[in-house]
Amino acid sequence: MNDNPVPANSARLSIMVIDDEPIVCKRLQSAFLKAGYRVEAFTDSAAALARLMDEPFDAIVTDLKMEGTDGIQVLTDAKRRHPQIQVVVITGFATMETAKESFHQGAFDFVAKPFKLSDILDCIKRIENRIRPAGQEGRAQPSTV
Amino acid sequence: MFNGLKYVWPFRGMRRADIGMPFTVLFKKFTSILERNNRILEEMADTGDKLSGEYVFDRQYLVDASDRLTDQVFKLISDFSLLDNRKNADLFLAFERIRQQIREELAGHPAFALGSLVIPLFEASQDLRERGGGKMAVLSEIHNRLQLNTPDGFVITTKAFMDLMAHNGLLARVQEGFAGLSRQDPEGLKGLVEQIQQNIQAATIPPALAARIDAQLDILARHYPHRPLALALRSSAWGEDEESSFAGQYTSVLNVPRSRVLEAYRRVLASLYSLEAWQYRLDHDYREHETAMAVGCQMMATGTVSGVVQTYADLSDQPAILVASVRGLGAAVVGGDAPADTFYLARTPPYQLIRQELAEKTRQLIAVPGGGTAWEPVPDDLRQTASLTPPQLEALAQQAMAIECYYKRPQNIEWTFTDEGEPVILQAGPLRLQAAAPNSEPAVIDTTARASIVFAERGLVAQRGVAVGKVVVVRNDTDLERFPYGGILVSRYTSPRFSRVMHKARGIITDVGSPAGHMATVAREYRIPTVVNTQIATQRLNDGDEITLDATGNVVYRGNIANLDRFELTEEIVFEESYEYRLLRRLLKRISAFHLVDPKSANFTASACRTYHDITRYIHEKSVETLIRLSDEIGVGHSSAPRRLSTKVPLGLTVIDAGGGIAGSPTTGAITRDQVVSLPLGALLDGIDESAMWGTQPLSVDMGSFMSSLTRTFTASLAAPQKMGRNLAVVLEAYLNLHLRIGYHFTIIDAYMSDRINDNMIHFRFLGGVTDFLRRSRRAKFVAAVLEHFDFRVDVRGDLVIARIKKLPLARMTSRMRMLGGLIGYTRQLDARMHSDNEIARHVKLFTNAIGKAIGGSNE
Repeated sequence: MNDNPVPANSARLSIMVIDDEPIVCKRLQSAFLKAGYRVEAFTDSAAALARLMDEPFDAIVTDLKMEGTDGIQVLTDAKRRHPQIQVVVITGFATMETAKESFHQGAFDFVAKPFKLSDILDCIKRIENRIRPAGQEGRAQPSTV
Repeated sequence: MFNGLKYVWPFRGMRRADIGMPFTVLFKKFTSILERNNRILEEMADTGDKLSGEYVFDRQYLVDASDRLTDQVFKLISDFSLLDNRKNADLFLAFERIRQQIREELAGHPAFALGSLVIPLFEASQDLRERGGGKMAVLSEIHNRLQLNTPDGFVITTKAFMDLMAHNGLLARVQEGFAGLSRQDPEGLKGLVEQIQQNIQAATIPPALAARIDAQLDILARHYPHRPLALALRSSAWGEDEESSFAGQYTSVLNVPRSRVLEAYRRVLASLYSLEAWQYRLDHDYREHETAMAVGCQMMATGTVSGVVQTYADLSDQPAILVASVRGLGAAVVGGDAPADTFYLARTPPYQLIRQELAEKTRQLIAVPGGGTAWEPVPDDLRQTASLTPPQLEALAQQAMAIECYYKRPQNIEWTFTDEGEPVILQAGPLRLQAAAPNSEPAVIDTTARASIVFAERGLVAQRGVAVGKVVVVRNDTDLERFPYGGILVSRYTSPRFSRVMHKARGIITDVGSPAGHMATVAREYRIPTVVNTQIATQRLNDGDEITLDATGNVVYRGNIANLDRFELTEEIVFEESYEYRLLRRLLKRISAFHLVDPKSANFTASACRTYHDITRYIHEKSVETLIRLSDEIGVGHSSAPRRLSTKVPLGLTVIDAGGGIAGSPTTGAITRDQVVSLPLGALLDGIDESAMWGTQPLSVDMGSFMSSLTRTFTASLAAPQKMGRNLAVVLEAYLNLHLRIGYHFTIIDAYMSDRINDNMIHFRFLGGVTDFLRRSRRAKFVAAVLEHFDFRVDVRGDLVIARIKKLPLARMTSRMRMLGGLIGYTRQLDARMHSDNEIARHVKLFTNAIGKAIGGSNE
């Protein structure tokens, strides 16, 4: 089993990361890039939403509690504009209520901070499988010794 | 650990102890203390795990985790106060002190206003960055962690800088100056920094600081008596290492005689206020209060050949190590004042020479006796020849790659070879590489997609990172002794013994093991990419295989995937260098560092607690003491009273069953082994019996030992004669808390063993003895070696041994508990038997062989 998704030629999954803590942005960006995805990261959620006007990303990974536009607003706004977009909510203040609210608003998944890089990569892989079902993505099969 | 354990209350109706509260209530407090104690230890371990880099966390997490621990520790103290029936003001004060320090760290208040004025480089603790500045922190890590040669000396700290500035009224002047400065006023800035520089050059050194520097110079003079002291004073500013562009802005003064050290110190300090440095700082939005300068004062390394290594240089077809060297001092290479020989070497062992370009070296920079440097001609026969030999090149490459591996960044390293031919690292810092443009087709994916995978997603990442190298399978100590530089260690088990080769290993892969184990902790200290518990590493990998271990993606590739290596080296953020990582390390120093090791010591007091771990440990010890005292007061005869355990060997053990640890409800006072249900206690008793290591005859003790035993004084709580033989075990079905005094030494075991692997743990402490300190220390070394053999994490301080093991399956925990039973028997009077250090190894061998047979093999 290979953990590096290899997308079809130019159809790499595009991911937007939104978190007002730069460390989270940097580390997710680096991990997603390495896994072969296209990534843009924002510490300012308003700027992120503006960017979403230009380009419909495949997935958004957003923090919940942020200054200004919070994660639920990002979620509802993005879903309204691009209903096919998959949103993963990450938060350090995970409660049953916030999780319910996120799913109610159409979140793909809800991940509590701190999380493992492998967990969030798994989550993105599930999104990839949903929007590019197996067989259509031209995944190269590396040889396993 | 005690969650969900609902035990039948055995002490109902027991009479009040003289403490004025029913024993039942007190015992309940006691168990609640143990429970909270364990919860705190787990939470501390959990927080420590975040250092691995496997987790993404932010500052908020650090705030929350600190708050949770603070809350738990506060409640622990409150519980203990009730048990102890005291106010425990000292404990609350210590708690308040620690809590305040944690708050300061979280609030981002720099710690450089605290601490010592000077710190010897070779004794520096983990992180010198705050007090010693970036450059000296790196050098002390290279020496103390990676075990490479660096110049001896000391660092004059940021605290000393602050003191000097305050002593001369300069802090206020600087602040006023910058407050009144307009951003668009280059002339004003120039005038201001020149003024400050002059003030610093003319400043008075505070007498306390001058005295400390003098004392350090005395120490150096004693260590190096054969020539007059010649020193190099190097800048080591706070935050300097973060941006390499900073580093070039400051002054270093070479070959300084002792008489001119203070003058050179002021010169280096003044360079903190150079115009270039300030322009840079203002451009990057630094504030004046973020500025502080430490200065390294080091023995001048007067090499015969010196230069620079860059660990990552692009050759046309492959990345390589670049070495530039000249005869004499290396300043010529750095400053570009003389032509240098250039060598390109492969980036993997044995670091083969790929290409060399020799220069004609006509002159060299030398240190002039008495101070300063000068140019002199190179002897004719040395002008055309290579300045470095192949073995020297290999040694340099080895060391440079070890440094790159540790900092996970290509390095720019200054070095010299001493007259004796030893390489010495003078300075190291990150070498900026151009990363691939973001979101360009990532080459790394193309390469890894084509690469041959040995296995992927097997096991658990203990430390992220990428390592390229040859497999070295380690089966035994001989393999370990032969372990080469740059190898990737592959082994069936994890073992703390691997720490011996951590400074040489590039990566570690094991079949079994836990990321929470001791080896994983050490691997993180060394930042070695590590994957444990893969199940199949030793089957799939053979000695000499070249592999690329991607411990970030958790994949092992066949061959050298240079692209992956490069990706790692150009990653935007090196986690270990991030602010959050450093903050976590600083917090852990207040939380889980451990100082209160010896309950016998006079320092084992509430007010000596410096961390939450210390408080937890102190309360645990004192609670058990209190419980022993109270159980003495209950008296026998009561149906649920503490019961005597009859054993073949004279253990004198009293058992308190706190629930499900003893079978049936016997009315007689004494119980037997058959009635012991408690898994840990049962295994221990079996180990004592079956290992047959309990010598029946007390050994003769020689006269010296005998006299020592007569004069040795114990603290009252541990050795009051009436308590001798009053050994106590508190048990649950899966739990044991044991205080055992056999002869004159003291064993404490706290263990949990069940099918819930993650909860399994044994904490073992061993101390005391009848003979002199030297012999007790020998015995401690023996015990430590045995425990390490059985994969315990061991800490020895004098004659005290602390060992821990956790998260092994029940069968392996059981065999270890039986081994401890054997060990208790074997060590009963061992210190009287060991007359020299040589006997330690002999006894370790005797014991491990014998116990292997008794408990069914040492490695199951």
